[in-house]
Amino acid sequence: MNKVLVVGGGIGGITAALELASCGVSVTMLEEGPSIGGRMIQLDKTFPTLDCSTCTLSPKMVEVALNHNIELLSWAKPMAVKKAGQKFQVTILKKSRYVDIMKCTACGSCFPGCPVVMKSEFNMGTGPRKAIYIPFPQAIPNKASIDKREDRPCKAACVDACPIHTNVLGYLKHISEGRFTDAYMLIRATNPFPSVCGRVCYAPCEQVCNRGQLDDPLAIRDLKRFAVDRFDLDSLEPSQIQKTEKKVAVIGAGPAGLACAHDLAVEGHEVTVFEVLPEPGGMLRYAIPEYRLPKEELRKEIRYIERLGVTIRCGIEVGNDVTLDAIKNDYDAVFVGTGAPKGLLLDVEGENLPGVMDGLKFLRAVNSGESVETGKSVAIIGGGNTAIDCARTVRRLGSENVKVIYRRTRDEMPAAHEEIEALLQEGIEIQFLTTPVCFYADNGKLSRMECIRMKLGEPDASGRRRPVPVENSEFSISVDSVITSLGQATQTSFVEEIGVLLAKNGTIEVNPLTGLTNVEGIFAGGDVSTGPAYVVDAIAAGQRAALSISCYLKNEPATMTKAVKKPERLTEDEVVDLTAKIPRVGRIHMPEISVKERVTNFGEVAIGYSPEDAMAEASRCLAGHIEGCIQCGECEKLCEVRAVDHTMRDEIVDIEYDSIVLAPGFDLYDPTEKREYGYGTLEGVITGIEFERICSVTGPTGGDILLNGKTPRRFYFIQCVGSRDRQSGARFCSRVCCMYTAKHASIVKDRIKGAEIYVSYIDVRAYGKGYEEFYKSTQESGTFYIRGIPGEITKGENGLLVRVENMLSGEMREIEVDIVILATGVRPRKGTEELCNIMSIERDEYGFIKVDSITPSRTNVAGIFVCGMASGPKDVPDTVASGGEAASRCMEYINQ
Amino acid sequence: MVSQTQTRVLTCIQCGKCTGSCPEAGRTPFNIRMLVRKKQFQSVVEESIPWYCTSCGACTLRCPRDVKPSEMIIEMRSALVENGAIPAAIQKALENTFVQKNPWGRSRAKRGAWFEKLDIEVPHISETESKRLLFTCCIQAYDPRCMVIPQNVATILTKGGVEFGVLGEEEACCGNEIRRVGESGLFEELQEENKAAFEEYGVKEIIALSPHCMNALKKEYGDLGIKIVHYTEVLAAMIKEGSIVPKGSFNKKVIYHDPCFLGKQNGIFDEPRSILNAIEGLEPLEFSRSRENSMCCEGGGGRMFFEVEATYQRNAEVRVQEAVEKEAEVIATSCPFCVMTLEDPATEKGITVKELSEILMEVL
Repeated sequence: MNKVLVVGGGIGGITAALELASCGVSVTMLEEGPSIGGRMIQLDKTFPTLDCSTCTLSPKMVEVALNHNIELLSWAKPMAVKKAGQKFQVTILKKSRYVDIMKCTACGSCFPGCPVVMKSEFNMGTGPRKAIYIPFPQAIPNKASIDKREDRPCKAACVDACPIHTNVLGYLKHISEGRFTDAYMLIRATNPFPSVCGRVCYAPCEQVCNRGQLDDPLAIRDLKRFAVDRFDLDSLEPSQIQKTEKKVAVIGAGPAGLACAHDLAVEGHEVTVFEVLPEPGGMLRYAIPEYRLPKEELRKEIRYIERLGVTIRCGIEVGNDVTLDAIKNDYDAVFVGTGAPKGLLLDVEGENLPGVMDGLKFLRAVNSGESVETGKSVAIIGGGNTAIDCARTVRRLGSENVKVIYRRTRDEMPAAHEEIEALLQEGIEIQFLTTPVCFYADNGKLSRMECIRMKLGEPDASGRRRPVPVENSEFSISVDSVITSLGQATQTSFVEEIGVLLAKNGTIEVNPLTGLTNVEGIFAGGDVSTGPAYVVDAIAAGQRAALSISCYLKNEPATMTKAVKKPERLTEDEVVDLTAKIPRVGRIHMPEISVKERVTNFGEVAIGYSPEDAMAEASRCLAGHIEGCIQCGECEKLCEVRAVDHTMRDEIVDIEYDSIVLAPGFDLYDPTEKREYGYGTLEGVITGIEFERICSVTGPTGGDILLNGKTPRRFYFIQCVGSRDRQSGARFCSRVCCMYTAKHASIVKDRIKGAEIYVSYIDVRAYGKGYEEFYKSTQESGTFYIRGIPGEITKGENGLLVRVENMLSGEMREIEVDIVILATGVRPRKGTEELCNIMSIERDEYGFIKVDSITPSRTNVAGIFVCGMASGPKDVPDTVASGGEAASRCMEYINQ
Repeated sequence: MVSQTQTRVLTCIQCGKCTGSCPEAGRTPFNIRMLVRKKQFQSVVEESIPWYCTSCGACTLRCPRDVKPSEMIIEMRSALVENGAIPAAIQKALENTFVQKNPWGRSRAKRGAWFEKLDIEVPHISETESKRLLFTCCIQAYDPRCMVIPQNVATILTKGGVEFGVLGEEEACCGNEIRRVGESGLFEELQEENKAAFEEYGVKEIIALSPHCMNALKKEYGDLGIKIVHYTEVLAAMIKEGSIVPKGSFNKKVIYHDPCFLGKQNGIFDEPRSILNAIEGLEPLEFSRSRENSMCCEGGGGRMFFEVEATYQRNAEVRVQEAVEKEAEVIATSCPFCVMTLEDPATEKGITVKELSEILMEVL
């Protein structure tokens, strides 16, 4: 079987390929882009019949796909061609599309999540596409591809460090480009508590952010808060969920329980949450003070979970009001997420005196709106976040003399650095290396506490140096009240009744990957199984458990979550390289209420970013510095058939062909350099092919002729832009512009009632079959043809001012219109030069391929033929004819 | 030259882009497209018509066939000059230039008068090390309104530590306008005289104060081997590198008018704007027709020397009108001809015209 290579998948190449295939030739068609169809598939209609271009062409495209004699390679181009006798040895580059076309079903579920928004080439930049995309619905092959151009400069350590693997680089990309809602939805895809994490997360992502190795880490948490602030969750409608008829009970309405309930509800299970306290939220509701996490923010998140169909029953203590056994019998599965609600004791004399309070109880009382009397002098014992929360709360309650007593030094304090900073700013003193040994009462009321100085000894089990008392260093401090915050413990006796195993410290023993306990159907997670940890860890545990509960309910083996990759740092070489490329820009900090003002009330301290600051801060993300795919992996998560494969590599193959047909097609002239027309600077000045996309039903407006959402009424078409033009080096006539402009004018007449249409021309070239008649009928239908090309376009009061001499009347006119369409001329397709160079093909002064004058498909190289616009301007019928001619010359050559 | 333009005239396809670009089209009897057509057929052209051209250059810059209509106008004018059929005022300007080397007929010996009263020392080019010449435009050397421009620029350059010198009375008119009114013989004479002076003193760089002079020196003197710049380019660079720092503030809305010879013909749009942007408090505004589409003030092509016959609303008035509508307080520009043409209608409307150097002087 003879083999022919067809380069280019436009109407010319398609025609040649189909003709050759019908003669029994084996054809390989190379298309440089993601789909065949060329320029013709971008057209709305074809002249002069006004047939739908897609309807005409797509059956031919399908024919190419179905023809057994044609092998279609998209994202492919020839790299080298060697003539061997009469034949050609061709080296073909097959660029990787990072999607397995054997698996991809073109379902489109990968597009919405992709955070990289690019200009659609198919729509000539008039609309967006994602980095993973199918250019248009009729694409052949109808498979997604990923536009990956360079490797991400950072290691996305943020995602690996985050317990719930938030797509940080994705949402930062959205924010940096002003798509705040998209950012929010991407955050929400993995996190049912964005507003909580946007405020109180300990942000392990920021600690590992690779940008931190260059200047400052990104403000990842604060930017999440920004996205949250701009989104109204109450307006978000949960999507339709198919019910499963399975019932799950969740014990504890803290972050672990609610996250678990959220994910189970999304899966369609009926979830009931049991909560002992009057309101859901757990520690988020009762421990974290209002100034860090406003309760209303939390309530919004919980309301959404309820709108998903989750029932939350508050005021029910499992083990007391209802037994776990009874719940187990009523439900198909149970998740225990009761946290670690019990404060640890100090174990010193006088601890039970009135005036000595447990930190958690204190915060719970304040957060419940109870009035708590603390007096003037208050000491808080402890160095964790809860201790700091207590201290800053006491300060806001009006106590003047607030002290934190901590037995180690600042370096060992478990509290977040910025919390400690805020505490100090608010005038609260920390007494390090100190611990109380006894509390004394006066008249039954706490009056004084005796403390002892400590020093640091050998490291203990936690790795921190153990504090050791300094002998004879006792001293006393007078206090009105003392708040102890020494750590938390679980309350798990209620699970023992059904035989759930506990660890020595009272935590529930679970498989850390699945959350399953030793009892079938009973799962647990969060602080109750790990001991006190962070909010986001609890959310992660709840989510993991939800996943395995779903599997359990379907009788499937529990899905083990993928092995977690450790956050990676940049190497020293990479740091040097990036430092040279990326200017140092420090973090933009989120503004806060002044210290003076904030200590007087419980209003939120951090105010939130302005959109400008948020965008500037987010654009520091290194991942956002590259063009195309940022390798965030969102598409991989969304693809159900696992077609996405980021490890794919480009391929190079050598194949021998008997002959070659070139059909690389054409580009349109870029009129930016014609500054007098304002293309690229004046709004409303567009090119003909852009207008074509705006008119098309497959275009960005679905076929409505719109300019910034409004229907233009006054149209001005200018012919010969970049044709017959020495200024742009193109003295030739582009042959199609007169007719495509007439076509545009008649489309406008047809779709927009009362449209005012002007066409500036030099002379109208309408020489094809039915062309003159079409031009005349366009004129007759009320399009004003003005002989005279405008000198310039400027901004007028209510539109664009076109300054033109109507030469047939000798009048100068200034015509105000809404839209100006430049009928730009044609140019050889970018890459034609390179293509010709590798094949030693000659081109003319404009770069079109030189052909024999009486065999218009024959190039200077015997056996290589050309068709379509590549050899000079042609309309569609002429291109089709040239495709046929190339095919027949090709057959002639092969059969010689 | 003549034969070349004539051939190009024959390639005209009468598209009318020149008329659509022409600042005189529609408002005066001048129709450049029609003139090219007439030239193609050697038809008679009424003698007053070619004098309307302001030599803004838009037609030549935009012509798709590269016909160079504005050059054709110069040819037409040359023919008229040869026959002596030219406006009396033009005749006078040519005679003045022949005798005193400036179109205004002021004494050549007084060409250096502008720097005599300055506090700073302005050296002769021969006394400088850099051989950097500050080239004064005739109107700036003699007209009291425009004399401040060289004075300001000289002062600013000195402040910024940029060494320069002048030619004083040895300097002749650059001839930019002379060539455009069709007196190529006189233009060549002026050119020879200036070139000889540049050569004698080993000039290495010329800072032209007027865009018209810069254009002639840069594009019409042949290859001089001398770097030629407009003063706004130098001052913009000095501000950028910090050798001059605008300290005061200029709390006004300023609209900038692009001179044709600086802007569309020589592509200098950003430097003047960057100078304005560097001034605190100054709120820059833009004309709807700015940069490449800037509306010609009608001061070029010999139009500074005489009045055309037709009465019509002058472009300068249109320009001032828009500035007023945009609530500009100052019209800024960087060409002495533009200053002169804009100032009359501006004064009438109670708005100020300032040359860039004047604004800069106020804040340094």
